[in-house]
Amino acid sequence: MSKIKQGSPAGKIVVYVVMGIFTFLAIYPLLWLFIQSFKTTQEYLTSSKLALPKLWFFGNYPYAWNMGKFGILLVNSIIYTVVTVIAVVVLGFMAGFAFAKIKNKLTPLLHGIFIVGILLTLQSIMVPLFLMVTRVGLYDTRLGVLIPYIGLGLPMGVYLGTEFIKGIPDALIESARIDGAKFLTIFFRIIFPMTAPVAMTVGILTFTGTWNEFMLINILTSSDTIKSIPVGIGRFSGALASDYGKQFSALVIGVVPMLIFYLTFRKQITKGVAAGAVKG
Amino acid sequence: MTDLTSKREQSLSYLILVIPAVAIYFAVVAFPTAFSVALSLTNYNGGKVFGNPKVHFAGVKSYIEIFTNPNGYFYIALKNNMYIVLMSVFGQIPLGFILAYILSRKMIKGTDFFQTMVYLPNVISPVIIGILFKSFYLNSNSVYMEIVRIFNPAAEFTLNNHPMIPVLIVMLWMYTGMYVIIFLANIQRIDVSIIEAARIDGAKETQIFSRIILPALSGVIVTSAILAISGSLKSFDLIYVMTNGGPANQTSVLSLFMYMMAFRGAPNYPLANAISTVMVIISFILIGVTKSVEKKFGGKE
Repeated sequence: MSKIKQGSPAGKIVVYVVMGIFTFLAIYPLLWLFIQSFKTTQEYLTSSKLALPKLWFFGNYPYAWNMGKFGILLVNSIIYTVVTVIAVVVLGFMAGFAFAKIKNKLTPLLHGIFIVGILLTLQSIMVPLFLMVTRVGLYDTRLGVLIPYIGLGLPMGVYLGTEFIKGIPDALIESARIDGAKFLTIFFRIIFPMTAPVAMTVGILTFTGTWNEFMLINILTSSDTIKSIPVGIGRFSGALASDYGKQFSALVIGVVPMLIFYLTFRKQITKGVAAGAVKG
Repeated sequence: MTDLTSKREQSLSYLILVIPAVAIYFAVVAFPTAFSVALSLTNYNGGKVFGNPKVHFAGVKSYIEIFTNPNGYFYIALKNNMYIVLMSVFGQIPLGFILAYILSRKMIKGTDFFQTMVYLPNVISPVIIGILFKSFYLNSNSVYMEIVRIFNPAAEFTLNNHPMIPVLIVMLWMYTGMYVIIFLANIQRIDVSIIEAARIDGAKETQIFSRIILPALSGVIVTSAILAISGSLKSFDLIYVMTNGGPANQTSVLSLFMYMMAFRGAPNYPLANAISTVMVIISFILIGVTKSVEKKFGGKE
């Protein structure tokens, strides 16, 4: 028997063309940005917007780096992201373990409140958060940024952590209990190490969200020494907007870390997106 | 006796495990949500909240103001939010579905490469994308205008007719990849043998699509619609950077309207919080509608 045919050649071409166009549209603007960042502002304004630079000019980068104060912003972005990711995973999974495996009357209420948080929008808490952070004296401090970031990341961490830990057999915990282990020991010694795959997913989703966050840090801080990379890039849309050369290199500086991160973890990122969306 | 101490150890462990997350979450999300609703019902406009003699209960005054203030642009913002919802539900989701279908059915080589590229815009900060697209087409000196001038050398750049269209296109560009990934993951979970069996029975590609894959994914489509709706109402960064609501608030959305009321010029916290509350209500209504549509037409998998 001949092999079952899978679509006609014409259909194949159509499919390739559709995918090709879509892929091109997805990456061309970024490629364009990268190319334009090597033009001087003068050349950008006078030459064709679609042309390659006549002379590849690297001078925009050091200027943009210094004007955008990217040195300190990069350090801040790393601090915010790393601390938030660790806190969301550890605290979220601790709670997730309790919700999944320890009987308690509070669980339905507490767990439910966390789940609602996935759908809540940041806008609905912005003003109170701003007032509270100011009131307790954490305005324009790193801690005043970190605590809200952690709180906002927790619903996703608690949700995915609970679901995953529910799937771990009870027998494992029961036998450890019979041997006299306390729940805290069981969590940190047995359960938490087993959560590595979903911890990776939560970590990566939290990483992307925190790294790109722009609105909250804008209202909770005022000093350049506390802000993060998206805020630094935002500067180039205002007063510096007409200096295209520097603006484009600032954007490239902003794109590159995330691009490296994405290409390194793309499998886990796409898996995580799919896992996060199965909730419903 | 040992049973009693172990019971106590159990509740104590529960609390130790739960309290850090609950404390932070309540402080940062749950309490502020309630606080926001409370503020929307007062006349508070700065200074101390408690023990401030000027602050008093104002009822639903701010809510009435949202709907009746002739200077406000609530209806423009609301309309734009609805455009975004419609574009997500009827643009991103179907397009994402089609692309996921192409990728999943192995009609094409290099699935991995295409998947990586299609999702790429999602990981880039909306701030970067907003500024990039401003240069890409939102001015007279843009790539877009250069291409337009090839066909019509006299063309002038204008945003007056439909300023939301560029914003919607960028959103479509940014987020379609997310739905591709979601659908792809779920199509891959469908048992291949069912599809093979159908094909041996003589089912055409279109029949496999409409009889097997589409019904199996109806639940995921609803979930995606819910994500799209809540995501649409969250949209802020991109518009803030790209157009800042301009020209003349024509591209404003509810979140931007709220931000302007709270953080630009003299703060109007009650009004801003009333807008937030209305946003949450709208989001729950839309999600409720989506759920009931599913109940009516949806085949559960």
